[in-house]
Amino acid sequence: MPAGVFKEKYSELMAHLRYPVHWAAAAAAALFLLLLPLAGAYPVSVAVDAAVFLVAAMGLNLTTGLAGQISLAQAALMGVGAYTVARTVAWLYSAGHPVAGLGLLLVPVAGLAAAAVGLALALPSFRLKGYYLAMASLAAQVLLAYLFRTVVDPNQGIVVPEEALTVAGVDFGSGPAMYYLVVGVAAVLALVAANVGRSSLGRAMKAVRDNDVSAAIVGIDVARTKALAFALGAFYAGVAGALYTVYNHGASWDAFTLATSIDLLAMVLVGGAGRVVWGSLLGVLLLRSLWGNLDAVLTGLPAVNMLGGVDAVKYLVFGLLVAYFVVEEPEGLIGVLRRVKEYLRLWPFSY
Amino acid sequence: MAALTPQAVAVNSLQALIMGLVFAALGLGFNIVYRVSKSINLAHPALVLLAAYTALVVALRYHQGLAAAAAAAALVGAAAGAGLEALVARPLRGRPPIALIAATLGAYYVFKAVAKMAAGDLWTTASLPMPGLRLALGPVVVDSSDLLALGLAGGLLAAVVALHRWTRLGVAMRAVSEDPFGAAAYGLPVRRLTMLSWAIAGAAGGLAAVALAAKTGVEPDIEVYAIEALAASLLAGLDSIAGVVVGGLVLGLVYQYSNFLLGSVLPSFGDAAAFTLMLLVLLVKPYGLFGTERIERV
Repeated sequence: MPAGVFKEKYSELMAHLRYPVHWAAAAAAALFLLLLPLAGAYPVSVAVDAAVFLVAAMGLNLTTGLAGQISLAQAALMGVGAYTVARTVAWLYSAGHPVAGLGLLLVPVAGLAAAAVGLALALPSFRLKGYYLAMASLAAQVLLAYLFRTVVDPNQGIVVPEEALTVAGVDFGSGPAMYYLVVGVAAVLALVAANVGRSSLGRAMKAVRDNDVSAAIVGIDVARTKALAFALGAFYAGVAGALYTVYNHGASWDAFTLATSIDLLAMVLVGGAGRVVWGSLLGVLLLRSLWGNLDAVLTGLPAVNMLGGVDAVKYLVFGLLVAYFVVEEPEGLIGVLRRVKEYLRLWPFSY
Repeated sequence: MAALTPQAVAVNSLQALIMGLVFAALGLGFNIVYRVSKSINLAHPALVLLAAYTALVVALRYHQGLAAAAAAAALVGAAAGAGLEALVARPLRGRPPIALIAATLGAYYVFKAVAKMAAGDLWTTASLPMPGLRLALGPVVVDSSDLLALGLAGGLLAAVVALHRWTRLGVAMRAVSEDPFGAAAYGLPVRRLTMLSWAIAGAAGGLAAVALAAKTGVEPDIEVYAIEALAASLLAGLDSIAGVVVGGLVLGLVYQYSNFLLGSVLPSFGDAAAFTLMLLVLLVKPYGLFGTERIERV
């Protein structure tokens, strides 16, 4: 890294990739993601799952981390997206209109549908904040999950047929095609999210988060900013839900309960609230990809069985991890990494 | 759709009264904590779960009586509440609400894990052993679980309200909640009183858990009732203590009658009705019937 700022234009200063090391890291990451399907089906499924939850977590990070509007309803919004795809496909197919690739065409529509619901969820935020807003989103989450269970999906699961995910002979519902689709969408949305934080909207969101009355005094339209924050976060959730439906070939309500919302909030806070892309990515990798896939390892440990089984241990460690990070590391993993980076920058000297 | 005969009204209203008092007792913990810490303790539902399984373990594994089970539940609840204050709430004073929400959600999972570990093979749907007592007043039949729930929840509410209103400790707790700096200036031990309030909230949660367990049985997701009780707390206003009785009774009526009238069409509609009530309260009258409205200054 150069020992000073030698940029001559604002565009150079503002670029996402500013130094050669950034370019090298980006190239390595791109190569890794491109070649990952060669490693087999299991890494692909883990990566796809991580990408889907990364999209949902980035949306929540926009709403909660950047704009400060606490939401415990992100999983319900994922459900809105997922059922937009699954119900429409099931309905059109049973009505005798098997449109090929319909499931994929509906992914952006799912985002917009969820954004519309997200706008409705923004209504309480015009009057409420803090705990009261969190309670409103909690009630909305439980109500939407109830609707999914009883009205939208009473038979516990809607299947999306393979033809609905096939475009020009390529089945986007499985294998490398599905992987490239999901990871590609996640990458594009990550780029958008990274830029939202640097736009005027992002600065307005940060102002509203830090103090909404002051933000109103300096001329920011607080209601509009809050509404946009909810709609944007909900759009991400809707797309994530739709992608979830694509890779699961269907949707089932038990994936969109309050527990998933709490998981997503935990991912955002443990990763780093307000750091939309990297914070969300770290949170998802730690809590979803790593901790969520340890069942097989944990089952074999005698200590786990002594402590009441895998579920109890997972609850315990998850809860302790979240509480520890919130109390001791408010900036999340990304703050820890920054300290490590600062330390290594001067190593072996301490100043 | 079920018919509203006079007999059905009598039966359902009694059940609504019992569930209402249980909801009020469950919601009490939120209000006591909100008064001193100005925060919602989202770990309270899991504390209720932990206390309910404590009572079950004491009653079924160690074959103790109901009184011992209730005492154990109250003790565990008080310890959990005090521990939560010392380890989570106190370090987070002055931090934004999201921090305490997330940290208490973390504690929620910890309590749930501890409950599962302590319960072991009792981690199932079970009921506390009840004396087989039945009273029939015409068409309305009351059994011992109804009476226990009614007595325990009602007694708990009366005791907490009386403590709060008429004892020196209650006066001190009110002072701390109104103005902690003023209370400290008068020599009140604010930190100990805050911790004591959390412990009382935990003990109330533990006793409410026993009342709830008597009424509905113990099940691994029994904490949902305590989440629904948030509707009672919010309807009363989170900084009102006696008002939670009114909130609980309204919630009990809504819960019981929506289950009775629409439960055959939409399964467990009472749960959805409770959360609808919560959302309506937040949208229409966010600070509740008896709560003080927050005025914002920059």
